[in-house]
Amino acid sequence: MTRILDVQELVAGYEPGLSIVKGASIHADEGEIVVILGPNGAGKSSLIKAIAGLVPVTGGQVLLDGVPITATPAHLMVRRGLAFVPQTENIFPLLTVQENLAVAGGILPRATVPARIDEMFGMFPDLARQRRLLAGSLSGGQRQMLAVARALIVHPRVLMLDEPSAGLSPKFVEMVFARLGEIRRAGLTIVLVEQNARAALAIGDRAYVLAEGREAHEGPAATLWNDPVIAELYLGHRKAS
Amino acid sequence: MSLQFILDGLINGSMIGLGAIGVTLTYAILRFSNFAHGDLMAWGAYATLALVSGIAALAGAAAPIGALSFGWPMIVAALGGMALTGLLALALDWLLFARLRDRGQAIIIVMASFGASMALRSLLEFLFTSSPVYYSRAIQMAMPVGLGIRVTPDQIALLVVTLALVLGMHLFMTRSQTGREMRAYSQNPALARVVGIDVARIVRATWLIGAALACAAGIMVGILVQIRPLMGLDMLLPMFAAAILGGIGSIPGAVLAGLIIGLSEAATVQLIGAEWRAAVAFAILMAVLFIRPMGLFGVAER
Repeated sequence: MTRILDVQELVAGYEPGLSIVKGASIHADEGEIVVILGPNGAGKSSLIKAIAGLVPVTGGQVLLDGVPITATPAHLMVRRGLAFVPQTENIFPLLTVQENLAVAGGILPRATVPARIDEMFGMFPDLARQRRLLAGSLSGGQRQMLAVARALIVHPRVLMLDEPSAGLSPKFVEMVFARLGEIRRAGLTIVLVEQNARAALAIGDRAYVLAEGREAHEGPAATLWNDPVIAELYLGHRKAS
Repeated sequence: MSLQFILDGLINGSMIGLGAIGVTLTYAILRFSNFAHGDLMAWGAYATLALVSGIAALAGAAAPIGALSFGWPMIVAALGGMALTGLLALALDWLLFARLRDRGQAIIIVMASFGASMALRSLLEFLFTSSPVYYSRAIQMAMPVGLGIRVTPDQIALLVVTLALVLGMHLFMTRSQTGREMRAYSQNPALARVVGIDVARIVRATWLIGAALACAAGIMVGILVQIRPLMGLDMLLPMFAAAILGGIGSIPGAVLAGLIIGLSEAATVQLIGAEWRAAVAFAILMAVLFIRPMGLFGVAER
């Protein structure tokens, strides 16, 4: 299997000498859903933001398809094939749904953008119905769908999401994760940071548990959920067996 | 009572509105109050004057267009002046604002713009002296258009130009990719980077557009009133009032608020007295902000 994303000994933090990510190594293979779990403050969000170029990297490297992309300016990451959906404020509320997609499509050849927007609307029919509404008027679940569509419009190699289930009702969490499963079946590699371990592990192939800024455990998603030590330590549930 | 003040107010208001577009864009996208914006206006007016004189020296005097006070050299010079003012703004950004922006303190950038404003103004006084100059000394006859209102051909032409510029700006911001990117960046700079928007390009576009429109407003003042190094300073407070009243980031808001302020200033001069002119604009500004702190077209902070 081809290794798409390879993060090696990454060190990153907002202030010099104050690293939040402390030598984390993770990877994702083609078509895989990789889940990153861990207690609050473990550096999950910072890790994914550092990969996306949003947190200054002070050590280690990130390879995408074998090409180093470490500390590429954030606005060029998406051109390299790495799309990122932040946890909050991940849409432009005062642009319409369609404009949100068009803005993100700016890096594509201009003539292909309208057709690509239509493809996204085909994939997310709910959004198609609301294309002329301001994105800020969408419900939480629809906003998340728009954020995912916005990330997908540029044909990324890897889609990274920071807690896509945050703030969503259980019904929408189920919907969002079902869509992510479908997107993966189309061949995309997905890296997911999640608090909602149960939902994420249900669709994930492999998972990392992060602690104190680096990976503490790694394993197939199914066995990780069933590992009582890890479950108790990091995932916040006690396996009833 | 003469209704002439309505026309005067509209004219003055469109100049304020054109200038306020640049103020509101700079504030929404570059996130600081640019107190040098008025001086871009004055520099634009002088740059255009220099170009008009240059064209006259090279090509000889040209006949005015129809009943207007100016001919084709003015139009060419205006376009050149807008481009030069845009370049001046880019140079200022490169020299001053970009360096300070990287350090991230808005108040320092605002203070720097004060300094830039004074330097630009003094330089104009040094180059052109502080006595007023004119694009044309031709006297225009005002035509009566009913209700006791009289209007000159220049005034009509410049109102039409303002309307075209504002419409063009509106279409640019809503239909073009760069316009959409500018709106996206003003809403969420971090997300703009994530979706691949090149911030440096947005910053350049903002300066170019804001400065070009400031130049257009300066030329209007120059054609209808006079050109002085202090002309931008005099317009600064009304332009800021219009940008705030219209709602930061809103171009239709800035233009509408510019008209409101222009009209209320003119009405004040007519009905109360010229000494209250500035005060009334600000009274309206404050009254609106008490009721609607985000301005007429603004959106509450999320």
